[in-house]
Amino acid sequence: MIAGRAQFNPVRPALVAALICAAPLLAVAALGVFGPWTDYMAHIARTRLPAYLGHTAMVTGVAAVSAGLIGVPLAWLVARYRFFARSVFEWLLALPLAAPAYASAYGWYDLTQPGGPADLLPTVRGPIGAGLIFGFALYPYVYLLAREAFAGQSADAYEAARTLGARPRSAFLRAAIPMARPAIAAGLALVVMESLADYGAVVHLGAPTLSVGLIRAWAGEGAIADAARLALILVMIAFVLFALERSQRQRARQTSASGRRRPPRRVDLDPVRGAVAALFCLSPVLIGLVIPLGRLTYLAFHAPMARDLFQAASHSLTLAILSGLAAAAIGLFCAYALRSKKPVAVAAARLAGLGYAVPGSVAALGVLVLLGGLQSGLDDAWTRLTGVQFPLLLSGGVLALIFAYQSRFAAAAIGPSESALQRVTPTLDMAARTLGAGPGETAWRVHRPMVMSGSLLAALLVFVEVLKELPATMILRPFNYDTLAVIANNYASDERLGEAALPALLITLVALPPMIWIARRITRQEDAK
Amino acid sequence: MTAVKLDDRLLEVSGAVVRFAPGRPAVDGVELTLTCGRVTALLGPSGSGKSTLLRAIAGLEPLDAGEIRFENHLWSAKGLHKPPEDRRCGVVFQDYALFPHLTALDNVAFGLREGPKASRRETALRRLEAVELAHRAKAYPHELSGGEQQRVALARALAIKPDVMLLDEPFSGLDRRLRSELRGATADALRQSEAATLIVTHDAEEALELADSIALMNEGRIIQTGAPDTLYMKPASLTAARLLGDVDVFEAEVRDGIANTVLGAYSATGFTNGDKVLLLVRPEGVKLERADAEGALARIIARRVSSGYARLTCRLETGQTLEARASLKENHRVGDAVRLGVEPAFAHLVSA
Repeated sequence: MIAGRAQFNPVRPALVAALICAAPLLAVAALGVFGPWTDYMAHIARTRLPAYLGHTAMVTGVAAVSAGLIGVPLAWLVARYRFFARSVFEWLLALPLAAPAYASAYGWYDLTQPGGPADLLPTVRGPIGAGLIFGFALYPYVYLLAREAFAGQSADAYEAARTLGARPRSAFLRAAIPMARPAIAAGLALVVMESLADYGAVVHLGAPTLSVGLIRAWAGEGAIADAARLALILVMIAFVLFALERSQRQRARQTSASGRRRPPRRVDLDPVRGAVAALFCLSPVLIGLVIPLGRLTYLAFHAPMARDLFQAASHSLTLAILSGLAAAAIGLFCAYALRSKKPVAVAAARLAGLGYAVPGSVAALGVLVLLGGLQSGLDDAWTRLTGVQFPLLLSGGVLALIFAYQSRFAAAAIGPSESALQRVTPTLDMAARTLGAGPGETAWRVHRPMVMSGSLLAALLVFVEVLKELPATMILRPFNYDTLAVIANNYASDERLGEAALPALLITLVALPPMIWIARRITRQEDAK
Repeated sequence: MTAVKLDDRLLEVSGAVVRFAPGRPAVDGVELTLTCGRVTALLGPSGSGKSTLLRAIAGLEPLDAGEIRFENHLWSAKGLHKPPEDRRCGVVFQDYALFPHLTALDNVAFGLREGPKASRRETALRRLEAVELAHRAKAYPHELSGGEQQRVALARALAIKPDVMLLDEPFSGLDRRLRSELRGATADALRQSEAATLIVTHDAEEALELADSIALMNEGRIIQTGAPDTLYMKPASLTAARLLGDVDVFEAEVRDGIANTVLGAYSATGFTNGDKVLLLVRPEGVKLERADAEGALARIIARRVSSGYARLTCRLETGQTLEARASLKENHRVGDAVRLGVEPAFAHLVSA
């Protein structure tokens, strides 16, 4: 810490960030514990809860297994071998993240339903179908983290295994995989967390999970307290996974940071094997992105255009841009808080980081509860003072939506900002100061340029996520305020996939360019290390 | 050490204390004077508080007690702190701290603030030329080798025409060969700059070679200051002697102004009868004679080849061992009996 003039104090901004991220969850927890019990909960516990739980287990299980089986071999191939178009596949393989899982679900269901163009294949539906959709939509999480681990592993361990008599396959299984296990586990935890939070795909494929139960309890029965109780079950599962992800990432860092690393040299594959490898890399992109989007494009051309499409698109863009900017700011504040090493600031920033474990529906429910409580409090006070009701300012506004998005996604913005700021070592500050720059000038000439691209990454990550987001938007959107995701879901639930196709397609097309930038940046950055 | 002239510009540290936590302070009452145009090395083991002292001078660490003055302007005192950006201290950090988002040229130009941009870049380019790196002006730090990074950091610190230059282990990240190459060039550049220079190091060879004077630091205190050869030959204590190089120690008691040791009798002026003293012997002062000559009888128990000479470990009859250096051409073998003599200049008495 440099003595002298006051430094930027990140404690307060970090506390605000923590409040934004944690308050909705606390509200849900409070309501779940103290809220009124209705017959609905007892009814649901007897009737649908077992199915919700069963579907949740099945969907997430299939998603994790398939994402692991796709992501890990791809990561190994791309990290350790050289073949045709390898450097393109390196980022191309991350792109299925641009498409929301429900878009892929619409496309595949329509293709494989009885009478569809691919009805020779089993119809993609039910918990297994949904799990597979998630596997192909979300494997990039596993792929990206495992690729980083494989590329960063020193070649020594693998080569040591070879000199000790292990053949390539056995060296892969006995040396490379165990060393990358923390990264793989972290990726799988993200896959499961995302599938837990989904609404659109599981509803469409007829595998209602806990998230769906939560929304039905709220929307169908108006039983907010019971919805909160279902939300708590969901959150508890998510937190276990979150803790797993965090601890595994910690270990991943520990296993990779030690000593001098000798990056492995990529092995050339002969043309035949190279072609097989390229095909293997191409298939998940086809299945997760190209084929379902192709079907949606076909449908979009053969159906009437959805109503109010442009308005919904502008709503989606507005929400995504504002949320991206807000999240980048929160991420930066939290990164400064972590850098300051002040215990309160660090604790607040970590608390804000927990938001990622909170499914969107839960965050939205929490915001609803919070703002409802605030509104009724204000109403009471206002009525007593003036005799009229307080104007309906807070509930269900765009602001409420952005609040909920931050609660869920701002955590994703902390990581990129934190790692960008980590490059600004304390000695760089000192160097700038001894060269005559005051604290403000140091921030402008050293911090700003070094942190900028990290903040852009954070903003774009959140932009893409908000664009795809469905359940929180459904719960909180103001009356007559539709987004692309909402109208896609509305048409799909009316079995009008043709009209649902274009909005789902639009989401993906808008998300694709930033996703390409993100994927290229993430993969290039690690190569430079 | 040359006498301080009246018109010398000085940086004076007096009674400086920096405390990070309760207990022994990291810097514990340091007295130190730096003179413009001269290079002082601050030598000490790691954890002795050297870097903290350097940072306090740069204004990166506040003082808990004592003072730092430059030319009678108070820079630091308890409750008073001139911010680092107003001190004109050029600092070369241990990790060089080059700004990764700026080219070598822009790094050097960072601290220049007078005149239009073009002329500042011109100045920066000249500074790079001075360290023979003009051809790397457009390279980013990660594209530079370790030695090049060090030179850019040096040029950057010198570019602001500092009154005080502070270098924190500037060669520690470099390999041996490069280190000795850069040392000479760095020392020349520093003397030309006319700044009062402090180089922090834990490498005795580096301190001896680079500095006009050396300050030895241990456990937060300066234990001895002086010219390199004085310090090497006449250390004030065993700790001081060990900081500067290999030394063997023999205990003795003073009788009638004489300290009698296994290696012979030494005049103990300045000590009184009954004082316990230590005879410190540098290996290069130990002479090996044939077994039938005069001196302490010993046997060679190990011979190792070092760069340029042989290191012989000899065991005296008393069981004590002593290191000696001999030319590689001489035919000493393990097991040979020898007589040991000590050249008086390399043997020195300190109190135990």
